[in-house]
Amino acid sequence: MALSKARRTGGLAVLAAVGLALVACAPPSDSDSKVGESGTVKVGFLSPVTGTAAAAGTEMREGWELYWEQHGTTVAGTKVETVFEDDAGNPDTALTKAKRLIEDEQVQVIVGPLLANTALAVSDYVTREGVPSLQPVTAADDLTQRKQHPLMLRAGSYTGSQMNFPGGKWAYEEGYRKAVTLCPDYAFGWESCAGFVRAFTQAGGQIVKQLWFPLGTQDFSPYVTELGSAGADIAFVATAGGADGARFIKAFNTFGLKGKLPLLTNCCLVDQPTLRDAGPEAEGVYSVSYWAEGRDSPAVKKFVDGYKQKYGKIPSLNAAGGYITAEVFAKALEKLGGKAEAEALIAAARELTFADSLYGPLKYDEMNNPVGPVYIRRVEKNSDGEYWNVVVKTYDNVSQFWTFDKDEYLKQPPYDRNNTGL
Amino acid sequence: MMRRLTVSRLAVVAGLALAIAVPYLGVRRYYISLLALVFIAALLAVSVNMLAGQMGLVSVGHAGIAASASYAVGWSVNQGHGYPTQLLLALAVTLVVSAVYALTSMRTSGIFFLMVTLALGMVVFGLAYRLSRVTGGENGLRGVWRPPGVSETWQFYYLCLAVLVLVMLALWVIQRSPFGLVLRGIRDSESRMSSLGYSVAAYKFFAIMISGLVAGAAGVLSVWHAEFVSPSSAGFLRSALTVIMVILGGVGTWLGPLVGAGVVVWTENALSTHLERWPTVLGLIFIIVVLFAPQGLVGTAAARLRHRRSRTRS
Amino acid sequence: MDTSSLLVHTLNGLSFGALLFLVASGFTLIFGLLRIVNLAHGAFYLVGAYIGLLVVAATGNVLLGILVAALAVSALGLGLERTLLKRARGKELPEVLLTIGIAFVIADLCLAAFGGDPKSVTMPSVLSGAVQFGSVTYPRYRLFVVLVAVLVAIGIYLVQHHTKIGAIVRAGVDDREIAAAMGINVDRVFTGMFAFGAALAGLAGVVGAGLLTVLPGADVEILLFALVVVIIGGLGSVKGAAVGSVLIGLVDAYSKAWIPELSYFTIFAPMALVLVFRPAGLFGRTA
Repeated sequence: MALSKARRTGGLAVLAAVGLALVACAPPSDSDSKVGESGTVKVGFLSPVTGTAAAAGTEMREGWELYWEQHGTTVAGTKVETVFEDDAGNPDTALTKAKRLIEDEQVQVIVGPLLANTALAVSDYVTREGVPSLQPVTAADDLTQRKQHPLMLRAGSYTGSQMNFPGGKWAYEEGYRKAVTLCPDYAFGWESCAGFVRAFTQAGGQIVKQLWFPLGTQDFSPYVTELGSAGADIAFVATAGGADGARFIKAFNTFGLKGKLPLLTNCCLVDQPTLRDAGPEAEGVYSVSYWAEGRDSPAVKKFVDGYKQKYGKIPSLNAAGGYITAEVFAKALEKLGGKAEAEALIAAARELTFADSLYGPLKYDEMNNPVGPVYIRRVEKNSDGEYWNVVVKTYDNVSQFWTFDKDEYLKQPPYDRNNTGL
Repeated sequence: MMRRLTVSRLAVVAGLALAIAVPYLGVRRYYISLLALVFIAALLAVSVNMLAGQMGLVSVGHAGIAASASYAVGWSVNQGHGYPTQLLLALAVTLVVSAVYALTSMRTSGIFFLMVTLALGMVVFGLAYRLSRVTGGENGLRGVWRPPGVSETWQFYYLCLAVLVLVMLALWVIQRSPFGLVLRGIRDSESRMSSLGYSVAAYKFFAIMISGLVAGAAGVLSVWHAEFVSPSSAGFLRSALTVIMVILGGVGTWLGPLVGAGVVVWTENALSTHLERWPTVLGLIFIIVVLFAPQGLVGTAAARLRHRRSRTRS
Repeated sequence: MDTSSLLVHTLNGLSFGALLFLVASGFTLIFGLLRIVNLAHGAFYLVGAYIGLLVVAATGNVLLGILVAALAVSALGLGLERTLLKRARGKELPEVLLTIGIAFVIADLCLAAFGGDPKSVTMPSVLSGAVQFGSVTYPRYRLFVVLVAVLVAIGIYLVQHHTKIGAIVRAGVDDREIAAAMGINVDRVFTGMFAFGAALAGLAGVVGAGLLTVLPGADVEILLFALVVVIIGGLGSVKGAAVGSVLIGLVDAYSKAWIPELSYFTIFAPMALVLVFRPAGLFGRTA
């Protein structure tokens, strides 16, 4: 008994010594070659397909795939091959999948992920590996502000505050002077409300109350009650998509506020997932966003019809983000003659201009963020009896800094509970 | 008796040798980092297994302790502190959080212990979200670079392996010590032990503290592995998966947490690439293990080996 | 804080609490008799919600939706108990694992079958809209939820205390061995109770689908609430589940209105207090 124990301890000691000796010399590293086989470009596509953001992540993927189906996967003689991974909406999973895509699959470009926390989790790693990334949907302000990086371009969405600034201006122009806001209590919500608040107060409006609801709120009745008794003449409400939109609209209506309290919402509260579930309840609701599926434009029509034909439903903002990112990638790749080289790809994408993209006339600023129109929309029923958002007013050339000076803007801290744009 | 010890010991030593050799076998960097992830998950599972196996206390909130350590390191890095300060802070935070866990739960047992720890984990999760000035809220904290000397994937892999081996050895020693005997006595019958004069609550307290320290170590390695931390590290899913690893491997077995961690991490990461319905597969694996290998994979294998040996002897 | 706001917040709390009671009662009944912490209870709720949704969309009848969902989930529970749970009976940890595995599978299959979009029940006109009393407008559906919960509570009470089955169940809870020795087929009672608990979860799912919405993750959300309620009320006690759910519902509603930053933690506060001063729960057995 004692003998075998001693033998064992001895064995371990020898192993430890060998181990230490080995550690002194580094093992062979992977033969990483980022250029890949000639004639093919590999794209790593990260989005949540399981978990609470499953619907959004799936739609983002569908938008991307639709573009390639409509236009073919060959660009300037190079074939585009996409490898899809599920990040489950979890930052740790997203990082592991990003590692797999870059180290194992040797992709040359990363597209996604969707949720801001997952995007932030992978961005340090991805940029350190020298891989460019295109963001289709993430609206986190800082990705193109304080945490901007030359290898990252926000291709398919606007920042959280950028997409809501015009809402504040519109509210004032419509004659409203006192607003109450309700936004989710995390970064996206803070940035969304801040966008509205800054523009509304800049025009001369007053914010009477600010409400915040925690993520995962099941029950909006307490908030709706508060909105009703706040003494405001307009309510600005933002959600991050998912179930919140339908839950909010139903609560808003059943508590009798429909028609009594004017409402302006953000992009996602009345996005297609909400309208598929609560279309009739949401009819007539005004919202502000860069995407309007009911906009009268050939680019939008081609996308919406194609998507409807393939998936049987009207595309949401996430699908649009996936589609337009594919378009940006394809056009940038074409400019480069089929060679997807890190900084060159991002630079080529940044220099693109669109006369009429899915979002309208679009270009990118020097921080790799889009500049383009933002629409005030209204929920209406289309000729097929389905609900969608049509444009009632357009604000052109909206940048992520609104009318403020870029350097002054960046000196301020990011929006949070204590800095809400007031 | 001697033969059995040597055979299973040899298997462990062989496994260890293989683990040490992995980076030199031409394995891709991704798989090395995946293995490191398995070791870190195993470390957390070991901490849960210690309480579950030795004391019969299943904690479904241990990810909260690990995450607290992760956040301590993350916050410290963002304040510009050096590595020694980061570690000291992590240690301090781990001790405080473990003490809170211990004080709140030491007078409970069985299902109540499970529920209390679940709630504690959710409180940590909630704090991670709410104290956004400190914790970065939903986005968490980034830029948590590894210390020099372990920053390469293969170097970090060895760090995780080394920590896991050391902890497992330490716990093996504790298990064989008088302290371990008392813990198992408490598991078997609290009333008997207290009538024998042992302060059950005090022993529970220390056991939870030790387990908490291991969880804290897992937290530090975890934040260095990912180079960021976010609230999901403290969430219910992470704690539940850890418990699943322990039970899959075999509660109370020495190798169980490692085996369980391997299965779960592999399913979560490698299988999910090829199969969209991987949660269903994970669920089915659990069900099969529970029904046909109720002592867990390692536990059932060990029992089978013992059974076969006793039969050959007779 | 004027009285009509206060009234609305109170009603919000009571109606949310009513839903929690429907979920927690099944959970606590299963534990009371079978000593199983059914972590698949949230998944049962989810399945019930989706099934009820389909039925209501097809027929427009909410009551039919509730009935079909309850029966379907009850059948599911019955099947699972007979084939899987029975094999692990009496072993606490394996049972927990089994229910977690079942929950994983059910939740993922629901995602595959119904997709990730949030869905809710289309209300028939009798239940939609609001009632007016004084200056207060209150949604009719939320009052309906309270009604359902009260009816279920009365039903359980009557069965428990005034029927033979109830007596058998109470005997089984008190002392399993003696009950078996007296010739009661304990096995069948166990299975029946699990099926009944599952039925309650399914019923709660349909009701909840109208109040909240159904989507992946709803199972975990509701399970956590149920656990908190049952810890407060005491595992195994339906009375405790009732008290606990009303308490949590009210705490949740008031804190969202008055201290929204802390509203997440407020539901843990009563739980923590109970654990410190009365760990078995308000009405739990201190065995």
